Amino acid sequence: MAYRDLREFLELLETEKQLVRIKDEVMPEPDLSAIGRSAPNMDSAPAVFVENIKGYQNPVVLNVHGSWQNHALMLNMPKDTPVKDQFFRLKELWDKYPIKPVFVNKKDAPVKEVIIENDINLFDVLPLFRINEFDAGFYLSKALIVSRDPNRPDSYDEQNCGTYRIQVKGKDTVAIQPLPFHDAAIHLRNAEEKNERLPIAICLGNDPVLSFMASTPIAYVQSEYDFAGALKGAPIELTKAENSNLDIPARSEIILEGYIEPRVREIEGPFGEFPGSYSGARLQPIVKITKITHRKNPIFENLYLGMPWTEIDYLMALNTSIPLYDQIKRDFPEVEAVNAMYTHGIGAIVSTKSRFGGYGKAVAMRLLSTPHGMSYTKIVIIVDEFVDPFNLEQVMWALTTRVRPDKDVFRVPYAPGMPLDPSSEPAGMHTKLVIDATTPVAPDFGRECELLGTPIGVEKWSEILRDLRKEGGNK
Amino acid sequence: MKCPRCESKFVNVMVKSPVGDVWEVYLCDTCKFTWRSTEGENITDPEQYDKRFKLNPEEFEKLGHIPPIPPLTKNK
Repeated sequence: MAYRDLREFLELLETEKQLVRIKDEVMPEPDLSAIGRSAPNMDSAPAVFVENIKGYQNPVVLNVHGSWQNHALMLNMPKDTPVKDQFFRLKELWDKYPIKPVFVNKKDAPVKEVIIENDINLFDVLPLFRINEFDAGFYLSKALIVSRDPNRPDSYDEQNCGTYRIQVKGKDTVAIQPLPFHDAAIHLRNAEEKNERLPIAICLGNDPVLSFMASTPIAYVQSEYDFAGALKGAPIELTKAENSNLDIPARSEIILEGYIEPRVREIEGPFGEFPGSYSGARLQPIVKITKITHRKNPIFENLYLGMPWTEIDYLMALNTSIPLYDQIKRDFPEVEAVNAMYTHGIGAIVSTKSRFGGYGKAVAMRLLSTPHGMSYTKIVIIVDEFVDPFNLEQVMWALTTRVRPDKDVFRVPYAPGMPLDPSSEPAGMHTKLVIDATTPVAPDFGRECELLGTPIGVEKWSEILRDLRKEGGNK
Repeated sequence: MKCPRCESKFVNVMVKSPVGDVWEVYLCDTCKFTWRSTEGENITDPEQYDKRFKLNPEEFEKLGHIPPIPPLTKNK
């Protein structure tokens, strides 16, 4: 493998000119937020390693996943790989699930190099900072959080690794947001029914495929570690936590071990979220941190999120698209690809061959009945199989030349919605919009039209032009 | 000192900068807002804190629980 952990991935990014270093001292605010916002605005955006933050000991890295180039390198592909090719590669790797982890002894796990158990102070280890202006405090936006079902404490498969936003509320206290439809909320409910503490491990600075899997909507009994192994083609190295039975990545930079206090809720938020707006304050659970383990010279990895596109949009792009593709393809083999990468799948574009008239509309309705699409997806566009759904210029071509608004557009009023979508009203309900931009097939019909072909010799001449430019244009 | 967000007087120094004596972070015990001494007045000054994001502690009880607290079950 090209990399085994975050450090080795950062080395790979640097070799590929996809990482820049800031050596001058910066302020935690407003510099780190501004850097995290600026990076993904760039073409071929790099990760940014900030070495020297005023008042803190350790460095921070931002925007690790924040470009298609970095995403391709995560998949061990050339950095200029088109998105559609990354999608198909990911699908191939996905089907290798499960690849089981290997366990390493605690004493050999890099993340145990330093163990802190007294006078816990998160600020000693983590260069914490405010991500957006009206956030309630300093947040961990890119953590992998491990928990087990207290009713089935020995079940490895039901152990969950997910990303949940964390607000720092004290030297050894944080808040967590397990939304009711996410797996950690099931673990917490089972613990709170018995008034028991729920042990958790907050893992920071991970192998990029672990961050990728932690934000992927897989089934409750599937293991994110086994999926991450499949994506790498090699097992993930795990070790045991110090204070619990949790399995944690042996090569993380930093682990915060602790427990959720049962049956306690306290004010959390607001926090700037991925739709580009703030989500309000709510009463949410509290976590007590009881131990910190970390590597020597640990790197704090965090992400900026806000008005799309930011790093989180790249992170959640294909890991939202692949499960939807899997689920639709099962019943509609003509489906070619699914792009559900806009605002976490609130918008989705499917390319499909039409088996018979009206097929595109049926594909759209199937997408709207999948576990993710049912509540998240509000706008569905269906295009022909030869249109690349990841290429918006081609999708706009399909909309402008293939849509008859009198018969190709319909709405499903008042359907399940996504509360973080600020247009859902009441929060969590919306009206679906379907646009069928496929070419009519029998028994449907359209005006006769023939697609333009490409001139003979295009491939040869494309290559000649590419080479000429490499040589400086034949000056 | 008052909390810039809810104007509570129950605020404490939560932490001092681990390296050098260059900043402090304060915590509001009432609304759990945290801020750093070196942040701009848009954050640190109660008069200048954006009114749209001010909080009234009397309304906290009405906020939703995420996730809801389940009933206790016995002998489980």
